[in-house]
Amino acid sequence: MKVDLYEAISRAKLNRRTMLRGTAALGAVVAMPKVMGFGPAMAQDSVRAQILAIPGVGAGSPTDADWQKVGELCLEATKANVAAGEFAGVELTFLGLNNQNLHNLLFRGFLKPWEAYTGAKINWIDLAQADYNPRLQQAIATGTVDFDIIEMGAPFEGDTAGKGLLDEMPDWVKTQIDMDDYVNYLKAPVGTWGGKTYRVTIDGDCHTFSYRKDYFGEGAIGGAEVPKTWQQINAVSKDLVGKTDPLTGLPAFGYLDPLKGWGGFGFYFLENRAAAYAKHPGDPAWLFDADTMKPRVNNPAWVQAIQDVMDLIATPGAYPADQINADPGTTAFSQFLAGTGSMLTWWGDVGSSARTSDSSVVGDVVGFGINPGSDKVYNSMSGAWEETYNESPNMAYLGWGVYVTNRVSGDETKRKAAWSAAAHLGGRDISLWTAAYPSGFQPYRNSHFQFEEWEAAGYDRAFVEDYLGSNADSYNHPNAAIEPRIPGIFQYYSVAEDELAKGYAGTYKSAQETADAIAAAWEKITDQIGRESQIALYKASLGM
Amino acid sequence: MRAASLVGKAGLRLSNSGDLLHVVTNDNISSGRQGFGRAIIWGSALLMLSVGLSQLVQVIGWGAFGFQNWRPTLYAYVLWAVCLCWGQVLLHGEHGKRTLFVLPAALFVISLTVFPLLFGLVIAFSDWNLSSPTGRQFNGLNNVRQMWADPFFWNAMGNMVWYVLAIIVEYAVAFGLALALNADIRARKFFRVAFLLPLMLSPVAVSWMIGKSMLEARFGPLARLGRALGWDDPSFFGSPWIAKATIMLMDAWTFIPFMMIMILAGLQAIPKELHEAAKVDGANGWRAFWEVTFPMMLPVSITAILIRIIFKLKLADIVIAVTSGGPGGATDTVTSFIFREYRDRSNVGYGTLLAMVYLVVIVIAMTLLMKLADRMTRPRT
Repeated sequence: MKVDLYEAISRAKLNRRTMLRGTAALGAVVAMPKVMGFGPAMAQDSVRAQILAIPGVGAGSPTDADWQKVGELCLEATKANVAAGEFAGVELTFLGLNNQNLHNLLFRGFLKPWEAYTGAKINWIDLAQADYNPRLQQAIATGTVDFDIIEMGAPFEGDTAGKGLLDEMPDWVKTQIDMDDYVNYLKAPVGTWGGKTYRVTIDGDCHTFSYRKDYFGEGAIGGAEVPKTWQQINAVSKDLVGKTDPLTGLPAFGYLDPLKGWGGFGFYFLENRAAAYAKHPGDPAWLFDADTMKPRVNNPAWVQAIQDVMDLIATPGAYPADQINADPGTTAFSQFLAGTGSMLTWWGDVGSSARTSDSSVVGDVVGFGINPGSDKVYNSMSGAWEETYNESPNMAYLGWGVYVTNRVSGDETKRKAAWSAAAHLGGRDISLWTAAYPSGFQPYRNSHFQFEEWEAAGYDRAFVEDYLGSNADSYNHPNAAIEPRIPGIFQYYSVAEDELAKGYAGTYKSAQETADAIAAAWEKITDQIGRESQIALYKASLGM
Repeated sequence: MRAASLVGKAGLRLSNSGDLLHVVTNDNISSGRQGFGRAIIWGSALLMLSVGLSQLVQVIGWGAFGFQNWRPTLYAYVLWAVCLCWGQVLLHGEHGKRTLFVLPAALFVISLTVFPLLFGLVIAFSDWNLSSPTGRQFNGLNNVRQMWADPFFWNAMGNMVWYVLAIIVEYAVAFGLALALNADIRARKFFRVAFLLPLMLSPVAVSWMIGKSMLEARFGPLARLGRALGWDDPSFFGSPWIAKATIMLMDAWTFIPFMMIMILAGLQAIPKELHEAAKVDGANGWRAFWEVTFPMMLPVSITAILIRIIFKLKLADIVIAVTSGGPGGATDTVTSFIFREYRDRSNVGYGTLLAMVYLVVIVIAMTLLMKLADRMTRPRT
């Protein structure tokens, strides 16, 4: 769970009654007798209930001692596969992040009991987010991979698995971590490459739709219904020009497009619009033609998405002033949360910050849903629009995973130790704790959406259901737009941001010309990285 | 003779021929010692060459010697450097020892500047995208051609011209401030420190405090002021020219104190007698400034401007933090473009070439400017 979400729920909703209710429920769960053959399941549930009570919702942020306790309680799965002291003398190096003093710092605590039990020792390489990509890319490019286990996002699988740098997951790990429990979009092909599995998932990511409830409803300024399609969103955004925000009394605005780049991450937001037009249910590809790597970014679907943005730019008053300089950080935290604008797509942080951030004024009027759809969808195969409703939530970034590098492949004991550590971090129970407490990770298993477990632990059910429900619906959507895990994917995004900035500033004459410039730049990158290998890797990443 | 032999007995042999002013000891260097000196220098050089060449042969693919990395060549270079230093003493005695005061430092500098520059050149003429499975590939002049046809690069170069031209205004403001602070005003010391404060701030802090907070279009105090003064839609980075001007202002705010302090130092170095003489000759304030102060300040001014130009050509931090080069590339600088190309797109080969070309452009431009400045400041005859 993100820190702010945790604080949001615990600060806003925990009171003595819910606390008592949660404690009572927990006590009841623990005290229930083994009847009706539920014994084994109860033992498992009891572990889940026990870890959810560490340190207890509203009892402050968890500490290293709590992480160690959780690690200790979740060690049973490891004990089933590894004998005590089996890895004595084994040393492993773990590369990961230290964002917000989470990630690696949590892993240290979780793995301490594991180290004590197995006898292995782990050395840590902690990196700040900004240093992560250059460090990884340089290690790969210069052949100096100096870590055995790595915390890594799925978009980098092309750079690592695609180059044969990872070790294939043994079958016992798949059983230990119960991979069938993953939400749909995190199942294969995500985490796999060329049919082999490499990833222990520890996180999920997707964009969801946030809107202001006070803009929509009977007599509200945005109309009776919350917009469901991008066509409606554009219409509402234009319609709101000249009206007054019901909360702040300042000018009202509709959807907030970030028009400035964000180191590649800004492109996800054009994707949000384009996915509804371009991701056809019958075709897993939506950014490139899978057979040729010819960019689709200048096909009618993408051009329509760019045109939609340009239409709003051309409508005076449709965006707040200076929107040309608003990056996604601005649209979410300086605009939406501060009461400017009524609709936004973003990662989970916005939903949680709505209630915790001091600068947020929209905590009581924010609602969530999956990304908007479209009245029509472009079929790249037939080259024609189809006039049917289509929606395609954007699985932007795909979340973090733990991977094992091929440095351990030659040493069976070391290899088993590395995978055992990874499996411990990605275990079914431990993941419930990371989903429920500040960890930097979001829910990613179907079992995380058993809201009664959250409620029993003292969480406010209504908020958890509304907010996490939008994530669950996106994760399990049959037509989700999956991030292509090809080498250099952020290079494509970064150059697209540069060209889009020119298009939005009017340097290019039309949406088509802007899209053509992006396509030309993408072709260059593909040629530079190697077209044949990119085609193969793109197909592999789509499971084709 | 007797004294010399006495000293000789004591173990110190004073020189009695040659450069007696600088050479103290009389080195009787045997031919064997000289031979050994030459042998270790040339031997280690040969070893370095052969290791380097065999590594090169392996890299090109003509042979395999089992090298894992370039460290053997580095070690051979270090050995050669040590032998070269030692050889100086063996060959030249005291002269050689004196050489040791400089030679290691020179070798160190060469190792840290010339070699990386050479490696940089190799990378600049390569197709090297960190995500490419084929690694670095020599690609001749392709990067130069790409640069020639790259609208983003030329746009950034064009912007640099405007940014550099803004220095003229900065200089005028800095001169004015320096004159004010040089005059007999109240709380002069306080103002001197106060005016210096912006220079002490990190440009990234300036970007956030001013660019992102004070100039924020909706809640920023300057935007509010703009609205209060009747500006409907205050936006400091919304249109290309306003954005460019705002970046120039923020950069100027940080660096005008630097020019001011240099000019102030120059003003204080002008002998008072000159002003007094001008006064006696009847020169009024403006005339005295134009005929005495300004010409006297030319050398300092030129130095301040040249250093400021070098600073300005490296402008990137504010742009990256505030506008990312936008809107539509209006505020992009060459350095911020290279940053995006290199860091965001891992395009190491092309990024390095751009940096190299920019270095050459800067070196040529600065040389020309210095020549010009030299001509301008030469006393009129």
